[in-house]
Amino acid sequence: MKQPKEWINSLPKPKGTLLDIQKRGRELFLKQDIPTHSIEEWRLTKLERLFQILDLPLSIKSEDEIHPSSNSSFSEQEDKISISLESNQDPLNSIILPEGIEKIEGEKLKKVLNDNYKKHTPGNWPLSINYSSTNKIIGLKINKKNTKELEIIMNAQSNSLNSYRIIILLEENASLNLLQKDFGSKNSAISTLVELHLKKQAKLNHRWIGQGSLDSNLLANCLVEQSIGSIYSLTSVHNGWSFARVEPIITQLDGQANTIIKSLQICTKEEQIETHSHVKFNGPEGNLDQLHKAIATDKSHSIFNGKINVEKIAQKTNASQLSRNLLLSKTARIDTKPELEIIADDVKCAHGATISQLQEEELFYLQSRGIKIREATALLLKAYCQEIINKISINSIADLPINNLLESLNQ
Amino acid sequence: MNKKNPVADIVSKPYKYGFITDIETEKISKGLNEDVVKLISKKKNEPDFLLEFRLKAYKQWLKMKEPDWADLGYPKLNYQDIIYYAAPKKTDKKASLDEVDPKLLETFDKLGIPLNEQKRLSNVAVDAVFDSVSIATTYKEKLAEDGVVFCSISEAVEEYPELIKTYLGSVVPSNDNFFSALNSAVFSDGSFVFIPKGVNCPMELSSYFRINSGDTGQFERTLIIAEEGSSVSYLEGCTAPMFDTNTLHAAVVELIALDDASIKYSTVQNWYAGNEEGVGGIYNFVTKRGNCKGKRSKISWSQVETGSSITWKYPSCVLQGEQSIGEFYSVALTNNLQKADTGTKMIHVGPHTKSTIVSKGISAGKSRNSYRGLVQIGSKAKGARNYSQCDSMLIGDNASANTYPYIRSQHPDSNIEHEASTCRISEDQLFYLQSRGIGFEEAVSMMVSGFCRDVFNQLPMEFASEADKLLALKLEGSVG
Repeated sequence: MKQPKEWINSLPKPKGTLLDIQKRGRELFLKQDIPTHSIEEWRLTKLERLFQILDLPLSIKSEDEIHPSSNSSFSEQEDKISISLESNQDPLNSIILPEGIEKIEGEKLKKVLNDNYKKHTPGNWPLSINYSSTNKIIGLKINKKNTKELEIIMNAQSNSLNSYRIIILLEENASLNLLQKDFGSKNSAISTLVELHLKKQAKLNHRWIGQGSLDSNLLANCLVEQSIGSIYSLTSVHNGWSFARVEPIITQLDGQANTIIKSLQICTKEEQIETHSHVKFNGPEGNLDQLHKAIATDKSHSIFNGKINVEKIAQKTNASQLSRNLLLSKTARIDTKPELEIIADDVKCAHGATISQLQEEELFYLQSRGIKIREATALLLKAYCQEIINKISINSIADLPINNLLESLNQ
Repeated sequence: MNKKNPVADIVSKPYKYGFITDIETEKISKGLNEDVVKLISKKKNEPDFLLEFRLKAYKQWLKMKEPDWADLGYPKLNYQDIIYYAAPKKTDKKASLDEVDPKLLETFDKLGIPLNEQKRLSNVAVDAVFDSVSIATTYKEKLAEDGVVFCSISEAVEEYPELIKTYLGSVVPSNDNFFSALNSAVFSDGSFVFIPKGVNCPMELSSYFRINSGDTGQFERTLIIAEEGSSVSYLEGCTAPMFDTNTLHAAVVELIALDDASIKYSTVQNWYAGNEEGVGGIYNFVTKRGNCKGKRSKISWSQVETGSSITWKYPSCVLQGEQSIGEFYSVALTNNLQKADTGTKMIHVGPHTKSTIVSKGISAGKSRNSYRGLVQIGSKAKGARNYSQCDSMLIGDNASANTYPYIRSQHPDSNIEHEASTCRISEDQLFYLQSRGIGFEEAVSMMVSGFCRDVFNQLPMEFASEADKLLALKLEGSVG
C-alpha cells in the first residue's frame, strides 16, 4: 500500500475549476487517520482492498487515446440524454441540453462546490479520496419537470482509479429521472460523489446500477438534501465488485419530505460489498420507506449498516427500514446493523432485519408443481431480486446481466 | 392534554432506599496497587490459586484501556480514589442470624428483605451482601438437604475450592474486558450456587446487594453452576444510599448450564440513580454471561433496570451445546439524566440452538436509553434460530431512544429475525381509558405495564408484581 503522502504526491497537480476542492481534499486526507478495524465504520472492511485503491494511478487519457466510439461523450436519443464520462474531456463539452436543464460552470460551480464543502466537509476516506482526485465534474441545474431520462455512464479505465463528481440542483417543482451507471473493469477503481439538492416539491427518481468486473473496486458516495414536499427515490443494484462501499446520506432539511430507498446487493466469489446508509430527519412529518436486500454466496461478505436519526424537532416522522438477507453458502457471511437514534417522542419508527436462506416450503411447493429444484431455486432468487430490479425500468435490465448472474448463483 | 407533562410527572418520586446505615465499617485505604490486591486476598484467607488469579487479572487490567465506545459521556473515573474493600466490623463467621448485627438486619428489613426466616413468608432463600461482604444466607440447611449449595463466594472458596478453581473465570475470562479484569483483581464477595445432577432447586434463590459507603466500589462476583438435568431460578436485587458522588459497581456474573440444565436469572436493579440534575448515582458496569455448555441446556436472563445513573451491561449467552436455548427479557426505564446502554449477545456456536430477545426501553426526562445487541450465528450453528424484538417508548420530547442491533450470520441454514419499533403513549388510548373512569396516572401506568407485559410475564411471580409497582413509582410525575 502506498502511504497517504506518497499517494497524494502521485496525483497530478491541482488545476482548473476543481483546484480548490482538490487542494482541500488532499489536506484533509493527510490529516485523517488511516482506517483500522477499531474504528466502528471500518470494523468489518477488508482494509487491504481499500488500500489497494491507492496503488492505482489516476486515469488520464490523452486525446488521441480516446476510442473512436467514445469520441462523442454525449448522445441524444428520443427519450434520453446520455452523458459518458469515459473521455478525459469535460463531459458536458459540446452537448446540447434540453430546455429546463442548465449547466453549472465556472464561478457558479466554484461557489456551489465551496458551499457544499462547508456543509459536508469530507470526514472520512471515501469522501476525501474523491475530493483529492476528482478530475471530472458534471454540474446541472434542473428548472422544470423533465420527461427525458438523464443517463450518466462511467466505464472505468482498467488499471486505474476513475474519479468523478456530479452535482445536480433541482429547483422548486422540478423533476428528473436520473440513471447512473458505474461499470468496473479489470483492476480498476471508481470513486464517485453524487450531490443532489432538491428544493420544495422537487422530485428525483435516482436509479443507480453499479456493476464491477474482475478486481474492480467502488467507493460510491451520495449526498442528498431534501426540502419540504420533495420526493427522492433511490433504487440501486450493486454487484460484481471485489470491494464496494456505497454510502447514501440523505438529509430532510425541514421535514415533510418523502424518501424511498430500495437497494439490492449481490455478493459472489470473494467479494465484499458494503452499504452504509444514513437518513437524517431534521424537520417534522418526514417519511422514509427503505428496503435493503442482499444475497451472499461463495466466500463473499455482505454488509449493511442503516442509520436513522430522528431529531427532537422531527415530530410525526414515519420511518421504516427493512434489511432482508439471503445467505446461500456456508463460507459466506452477512453482517447487518440497522440503527435507530430517536429523540422526538411522537414518531413511528420501525426497523426489521432477517437473515435466512430460501424457504423450504416455497421450494417444495414449486417442486410439487413439477419444477426441478434447480429451476425452482432460480425462480425464487429471481423473484427476490425482481422487487428491486423492476423499479430500474425495462431498458436498463437489458444492460444488467441479471439472468446470467442468477444462473451463476444457482451453481 | 391540559397538564404540562403528566406522564413525566409520574417518574419523579423520591428514592426511598436512599438512607444510610450508621454502622462501623472496616475499610482499607483508597487506591489500587498490587499490595491492595494481596491485602484483599489475605483478609479473606484465600488459597494461593485465587491470589494468583487476582494478580494475573490485575496485571492484565493495568495494560487495558477504559472503553469509551458506548459514548456514555461520563467523566473519567479515578481508580485510585476508590476504596476496594469495606466490610461491617466483626466479620467473624456467624453461626446463626442472631449473631448478625441487629442494625444490619434492620437495614434489610427496611429494604423489605427480612432475613429472619420466620418472617419470610415466601419460599425464597436470600444471600444478603452489604458493601463488600456477604452477611447472611438464609435457608442454607434446607437447601443442603437436596444437595444444593447456596453460600457466599468466600465460603465457597474455603469449602469447595475445586469447583471455584474449575469454573471461576471460565465464562468471563479475567481479560475479557476492562471492568471484568478489575473485578477479577479485587472482587470481594458475591454468591455461589451449585445445583447437583437432576435436582430441581426447591426454592427461589436470591441475592440482595446493598452499597452503603459512598466511596466504596462494589465488585461482587456471582457464580452459578447447574449440573446435568438440574434447574434453578435466581433473583438479584440492588439498592444504594443517596450520595453526591458516583459509585462504581463492576460485578461479574457467570452461569454454567450442563446437559439439560436450566438457569433462570432475574434482576431488579434499583441502584440510586442520581438526582434530577444528574448528580450522584451508581455507575453500573456489569459483565454477565452464561454458557449453555451442555446439550439442551437453557439460560434465561430477565432484567428490570430502573436505577443507576449509568447502566452499561449486556447479559449474554454462549450457546455451545446442541439444541441449547438462550433467552433475554429486559425492561429498561430511564428518567432525568440517566443513561442506559444495555442489551444482550447471543452467540450461537452449536447446531440447532435457539435464542429469543425481547427488550423494552422506556425513556423519560432527558435520559438516553439504548438497546445494543449482538446476534451471531457461527459457521457450525446449523439450524440455529433467533428472534429479537426491541420496542422503545418515549415519554416527553427530550428523551432519546436508540437501537443498535448487530446481526451476523455465517450459516445459510439458520434464521434470524429482528424487529424494532418506537411508539409513545397515544392520547387516544389515554382518552379511552379516562373515559372509562380510570384516573390519568393509573391509565399511564396501565399502558406502561401493558407495554412491558411480555417481560414481566417472565419474572418470578412476586418479582413481577414488585417490578410493576416499581415502574409505576418511577414513572410517577413524568407523563404529559
